[in-house]
Amino acid sequence: MKSIESLNVTRGARWEAKAAQYRPMLRDQNLPADFARDLQSIFFSENPSKFFFILRTEHMVVEADSNVQDIMERLQTYRNRLTFVFEGYQYQLGDFNLKAGRAVLNGESIRGIVLEVEYLPVSSIEKSRTLLQEFVELWQDVISKHSLNGKISHLEPPFGSYLLSDTYSWQHTAVQYTNMMTHFLSQRS
Amino acid sequence: MECIMQGIIETQHVEGLAVLLQGLCGSQRQAVKIHDLCLKSGPNLGQVPSEMHLMCDLSHQEPRWIVRHVGGAMRGAGAEQMPALVRSVLNCRISNNALRFFHSLGYKLDHELLQTGFKFQFHKVVPITVSVTSVCKIPKLHMIEEAVPITPGLQLVEVSASTSGDNYTEVAAAVSGLAEQLAPLLHLSKPGVLTGVVPTASAAASSLTSRATKVP
Repeated sequence: MKSIESLNVTRGARWEAKAAQYRPMLRDQNLPADFARDLQSIFFSENPSKFFFILRTEHMVVEADSNVQDIMERLQTYRNRLTFVFEGYQYQLGDFNLKAGRAVLNGESIRGIVLEVEYLPVSSIEKSRTLLQEFVELWQDVISKHSLNGKISHLEPPFGSYLLSDTYSWQHTAVQYTNMMTHFLSQRS
Repeated sequence: MECIMQGIIETQHVEGLAVLLQGLCGSQRQAVKIHDLCLKSGPNLGQVPSEMHLMCDLSHQEPRWIVRHVGGAMRGAGAEQMPALVRSVLNCRISNNALRFFHSLGYKLDHELLQTGFKFQFHKVVPITVSVTSVCKIPKLHMIEEAVPITPGLQLVEVSASTSGDNYTEVAAAVSGLAEQLAPLLHLSKPGVLTGVVPTASAAASSLTSRATKVP
């Protein structure tokens, strides 16, 4: 956050994304269960009318109205196993929208810091790729010059395997954040 | 939640009903074409069996998918006295990969239906929808072109309105009030209560359609 605020950016609103991982509820643990065990979901405070599900093995992202949570609760077939909350502040720097915050597991354990960079004029992922990479490299230089610890590690999102289009959308964001959740879970605490 | 009443009408009297509804509603009818897929949880999934409906609205250029969960009906002496059924219903728009999604979660297709017809949207005390549809079974998996009516010669009429927990009495009264206005053509009651066709339907339909023809 210090590195961003040193750039004379405009600090904006708080942001939050809540991701969850589920497990199926089985009547008998000893019987075979021929269904998904990697169901994830994500909800964004900036897009409160929508809710997203991800099935990682199937490379599927499902978008629904946010009241789908009520339906899932009534069906009582999948139970929330853990929750990740990504939260922090937004910043505006020219044509770039930055989000920086922390990733918290089950409300207790901070598993890392997340940084999101959005280039507002272009919604094509391929056309903006180089520009975004250069921006992140500049940001890394700023961090180093301020003698701050930490290195920005880019997590390449698997958009291609989800058959998402080149035009960036909330479904792309859903894949990115659940991918981050999976990454943090795979790291040792 | 929703309040709902249902009835049946012979296909030959549907146009008469449409004339009556047009007169009462004052707006144009809208086409209804819905592919209704009933999904049930597979064995061993969930503490109790569950089901939901995936409804694909085919009346627009781009199909629109909705996931629908119908819960239990309101119970008790008060509920039994009401002419309309009040039940818990949740509808939610969902992307067009919903069927594959729920299949992956362990839901199996139990049956599928195609409902075609029309509906009128009333804006009285509360918004009320009256739909008149032919309900068809689909003999081959997802082949809606080969759908055949379950009851040839008969169509389903539904009068329904959304309600919250605190205004269902008012909404049920509005639904049954509208249902009474359709009495010459059909008898409406709670789903599951057999009503049959009304003997005055033929005369009433003829009168309505001849009036509609004469109006310049």
